[in-house]
Amino acid sequence: MTATTTSNEQRTTNKFLTLFASEYLVLALCVLYFTALAPFAEGFASRGNFGNILLTLLPLFMLAIGQTVVLITGGIDLSVTSTIALTSVVGAMVMSGDNGWLAGNPLAVPIAITLMLIVGGAVGLLNGIAITRLRMPAFIVTLTTMMFVSGFAVWLTKSKNIGALPGAFTLIGNNLWISLPLTAVVAAFAHLMLSRSLFGRWLYAVGHNNRAAYVSGVPVAGITCSAYVVSGACAALASVLLTGQAETGSPVLGKNLLLDVIGATVIGGTSLFGGKGKVLWTLFGVLFLKLIDNSLNLLNLSDWDIRMVKGGVILFAALMDAVRNRFVVRSS
Amino acid sequence: METTNHEQRTTNDALLSFRAIEKSFFGVRVLKSVSLRVRRGSVLGLVGENGAGKSTLMNILGGNLRPDAGELLLNEARFEPRHPTDAARAGIAFVHQELNLFSNLTIAENIFLTSFPRALPPFIARRQLRDRAAELLNEVGLNLSPDTLVERLPAGERQLVEIAKALSLAPKLIILDEPTTSLSARETEHLFALMQRLRERGVAMIYISHILGDVLRLCDDIVVLRDGAMVGNGVRAEFTSERMISLMVGRELSQLYPKRRERGDSVPLSPQRGEGWGEGWERHETQAANESAGLNHPAPVTPPHEPFLGSSRRDEAHASQPEKDQSLVTSAATVQGFEARNFVSGNSLPVERRGGPEALLELRHVSQPHIVRDISFALHRGEVLGISGLMGAGRSELARIIFGLDAHAGGEILLNGKALPRSGPRARIQHGLAFLTEDRRHEGLCLEASIADNLALVALRRHARTPLKFLSTGTWREAIRTMRAAVKLSPNARDEQAVKTLSGGNQQKVVIGKWLVAEPRVFILDEPTRGIDVGAKFEIYQLIHDLADRGAGVLVISSEMEELIGICDRILVMAQGEIRDELRSVEFDRERILRAALLDGARTVTSARTP
Amino acid sequence: MKRSSHSNNPSARTRPSVLVLLLNNASLVLFAVVLVVFALLSPKFFTGDNLVNILIQSSSTAIVATGMTFVLLTAGVDLSVGAAMFVGAAVCGKLVIGGQPIPLALAAMLGVGLAFGAVNALFITRLRIIAFIVTLATLFIGRGFALRITETRAMNLPDAFLQLGSAKVAGIPVPVLAVALVVAAAQLVLSRTAFGRQLYALGNNVESARKAGVHVQRLTASVYVISGFCAALGGIIALSQLGAVGPKFGENYEFKAIAAAVLGGTSLFGGRGNVFPGTVLGAVLIQCVENGLVLLNADPYLYPLITSAVIFVAVLIDSIRNETLAKLSRRRIRHDDLASGAP
Repeated sequence: MTATTTSNEQRTTNKFLTLFASEYLVLALCVLYFTALAPFAEGFASRGNFGNILLTLLPLFMLAIGQTVVLITGGIDLSVTSTIALTSVVGAMVMSGDNGWLAGNPLAVPIAITLMLIVGGAVGLLNGIAITRLRMPAFIVTLTTMMFVSGFAVWLTKSKNIGALPGAFTLIGNNLWISLPLTAVVAAFAHLMLSRSLFGRWLYAVGHNNRAAYVSGVPVAGITCSAYVVSGACAALASVLLTGQAETGSPVLGKNLLLDVIGATVIGGTSLFGGKGKVLWTLFGVLFLKLIDNSLNLLNLSDWDIRMVKGGVILFAALMDAVRNRFVVRSS
Repeated sequence: METTNHEQRTTNDALLSFRAIEKSFFGVRVLKSVSLRVRRGSVLGLVGENGAGKSTLMNILGGNLRPDAGELLLNEARFEPRHPTDAARAGIAFVHQELNLFSNLTIAENIFLTSFPRALPPFIARRQLRDRAAELLNEVGLNLSPDTLVERLPAGERQLVEIAKALSLAPKLIILDEPTTSLSARETEHLFALMQRLRERGVAMIYISHILGDVLRLCDDIVVLRDGAMVGNGVRAEFTSERMISLMVGRELSQLYPKRRERGDSVPLSPQRGEGWGEGWERHETQAANESAGLNHPAPVTPPHEPFLGSSRRDEAHASQPEKDQSLVTSAATVQGFEARNFVSGNSLPVERRGGPEALLELRHVSQPHIVRDISFALHRGEVLGISGLMGAGRSELARIIFGLDAHAGGEILLNGKALPRSGPRARIQHGLAFLTEDRRHEGLCLEASIADNLALVALRRHARTPLKFLSTGTWREAIRTMRAAVKLSPNARDEQAVKTLSGGNQQKVVIGKWLVAEPRVFILDEPTRGIDVGAKFEIYQLIHDLADRGAGVLVISSEMEELIGICDRILVMAQGEIRDELRSVEFDRERILRAALLDGARTVTSARTP
Repeated sequence: MKRSSHSNNPSARTRPSVLVLLLNNASLVLFAVVLVVFALLSPKFFTGDNLVNILIQSSSTAIVATGMTFVLLTAGVDLSVGAAMFVGAAVCGKLVIGGQPIPLALAAMLGVGLAFGAVNALFITRLRIIAFIVTLATLFIGRGFALRITETRAMNLPDAFLQLGSAKVAGIPVPVLAVALVVAAAQLVLSRTAFGRQLYALGNNVESARKAGVHVQRLTASVYVISGFCAALGGIIALSQLGAVGPKFGENYEFKAIAAAVLGGTSLFGGRGNVFPGTVLGAVLIQCVENGLVLLNADPYLYPLITSAVIFVAVLIDSIRNETLAKLSRRRIRHDDLASGAP
């Protein structure tokens, strides 16, 4: 009798421990949080709110995918928020109805988006070259590019917003039927590349130990560089969504996203030391952060309160991850 | 000299005793009930192969590790160091082989980092600091300003700073772990004189070294460890180098190293050899063996493994019958004498492939300022070529140059007769070159990654399908499974398990495995068995032989001469970045190798050069 | 031996040392270049008044960057300095407006800085979370908290603050005096105390430091406390110059402070750098660039572009320096290249 209860208890604790160590922990926490808060926050579980959550989640997820790739190599990209601003401004300058270079041209939207991707990729390439060829630390390189690119975006527009964007463009960000499949395709592709392709394996190897990877014939410089290009391109795609949602090209767009994007990847379980991270984890992290954001908004908490909570959540997630790693090491 | 001291040994003159110390890592017992003592004012020599347990024992003494069982007694009181500072406080100072200095601080600051003299706390009394440091530097014979930044010092001088640091604690016991590896001959003499003075002052020392002559010269008592157990313990008079070696090794050399499988094809020759030697390995072997044995008629057939057995037999002979052995050596040496000179003088002819031995890897006059000079040799199909020499002789640097990790200013490196690009390992790997680096943790493995990921890394490219290079999981899983079996990786280890959880031997097998997956034609192994237990060593030797038997060329760099003698077909000896000697298996002789490695041959080389 | 290696020798030995000398003093060289360029372009730049002005303007950054230097020496980072300034200033402002005496309010501000540092230190050393994440989180928590206190409104402080900012002691402006004191104390601690020297050892190699018996945890914790304290002190100076606490108070100070330290030659990998002249020079250099651009009537939108370009160049020089030094300190196996000349 007592023996069976203890074994039952053991089984439940074991189940709990397995969940605790599992990669679905964050998803489980999302569900838990949602069910716990749904009765209190009015409209939290409504269909319209789901749409809202998704709409704001998608650009962040897009951005976080790029960051995940960079973090896997053991680097960091602080310049993504400025890249959003710059690509937003560049895209708007091309297609805006007021004095846009291609105002009224039917090809304005595709050309603008292509240009945004090129600019985003170019910022990433610049970071990548400075980090791999000039051997500068990623942190300070992307910090200076952040300052420079943001300054450049402000200089281009003299800190004015550019409005009158074509409807075809703003639709991409605002219509879930377009933005959701777009993000899903990018995410699925990134997931497959990371888990199944040579590029992905090499990325992890570089993150684990770039000396060993180099000795083993991995093109370390090329791989590292391309991670930053991917991050820049993802920032450009996020900018397409965000600019569409804002309906203006703004040189300060995405300014407050840095904590969100790093926080979401870290909550998901991607390591800042490199070699560890998944698109799926990042999706869970983004979801968790956005649920908190959204629910606190619904509870009428002020913007600054939400920021405090988010900071605390990220700290807590990092703490859990540290505990979890110690636990996994001990149990293996 | 000290015999009177030895007679006076009583039980209570022990400064420090280890009692039945036990320690296991990952279920492997690395210390098996070790008990030993250090007498006051005496030097204890601690010898044993790498992995015999010396460093574990010293780490326990230093408070870095805790024993699973057993106890330490210091001055007859129980001593349980839990932190390095506990050992320091108890008057125990360490001079480690790997240097623990801070390159961004001055010599004086390094010495007194945790015990700065203070006149007006918290400020450092700089004059006092300088004076005391100068005193200590004087004592260790380092004629430098105490304000010199350590980053400006070469390794030998840094080692002396380490010793000065140990002395600053006014220790009762000093542990010296291979302190002479980076010292010049003069610095070494200075150190030995210093040790003598310290002993006279009543300081006890534990001296760990592979140079057995030094141990015999310096130590009062000697302890021999093998596989974590104490196999010899006594006063110096009870030991000779030969006895220490046989205790350390514990079995005959022939049991330590696997026999080479019989091979059909002829075994190669060095391209530098003159015409007379170009007719085939076996014949030459037989000739040389017969000549050295004083026989005149040619022996009919010699099995290919014979030379190796011969060499090990000669080692035994060397140990028991020095005179007879000497004659063997000299006769062999005279036969080969002119060639060695010829070789060293760098008079390498272009290779003429005579249809026989096929040179897989060939170096022609490879030079890099301050690193290596005029290195020429060839590695042939099916050959195991060893590079011997002291640490810092430029062996690893040469390997790195061959693999393209470091640049070389002059000369050519040919793989399969084609010149390799100047740098970068990638093209070399594609051409069939593999390189097991000396530094397994930093350059060999992704420690956090799984066994499967590590094994797959080098050959991954082959399993990628265009256009997006997606991997075909089936084929690379299959390759991993084959390789796990081939390198005899512990069956308990799961593919997904992180490599860092494996023992040293299994980690090394993973590194070897990852290269074998790529089916290399030339495999360079730099210290392949460092820090690995005897069983795993044997398996690694077998892998090396299998690889050679399948037609690859293997270049093995090792600090353990016995190992090279045991597994190689030919040995090159390096010193000061040059090749000083070349020995074929019949000529294998420790003395000759050591002489070539140790003697300052720069002058002889120069004189040989000038016509 | 061959002749060629002979003739190569002298140049091979002297060339690197000149190069190393230049690279080692890259921040000084860069500073001199900026001074000369602006002095040539604008006659008003190199005047006593303007130079004092630059010192005053750079004083708060210099103090915050001094604390940051301690953190960077241990290979850590503190992103929360700006938030610590803001929270401190908000608390200080509330107290003063609530009728508390100014000294008490200032003491409270310093206390907030210390508390910030202590929280960071707790998470970093006890709970072993990396500094970047901890201080990024405390940055947002802090800013959120301060916005909540101030309700995102600007608080105007009594004139006493502004008077403090413009006061002079023995002809020296108070902010400059404060910088001088802080920097002198910091430099003394770093170069003349066991604590300071052990910090360098820790930054050079944590594992070796631990083995050598340095109290790694205690040292690591203390640098974050120092950084928090310096942030609050810098905040007081900034407060005395602005006379108000707005919602943007202390924003981007983390970047300015890191940039100043890095410009002054402090390495992000730890173990290298100093407060004087290094970090001070860096802080002044950033201000020089802005001041010079103002005097030249340059497009204000160009300031961040030029500042970040200067920082980029400084970091680039630093990485070249590291590579060169690593190459030079690589082990030499053959010494006979020099000795062979002897008979």
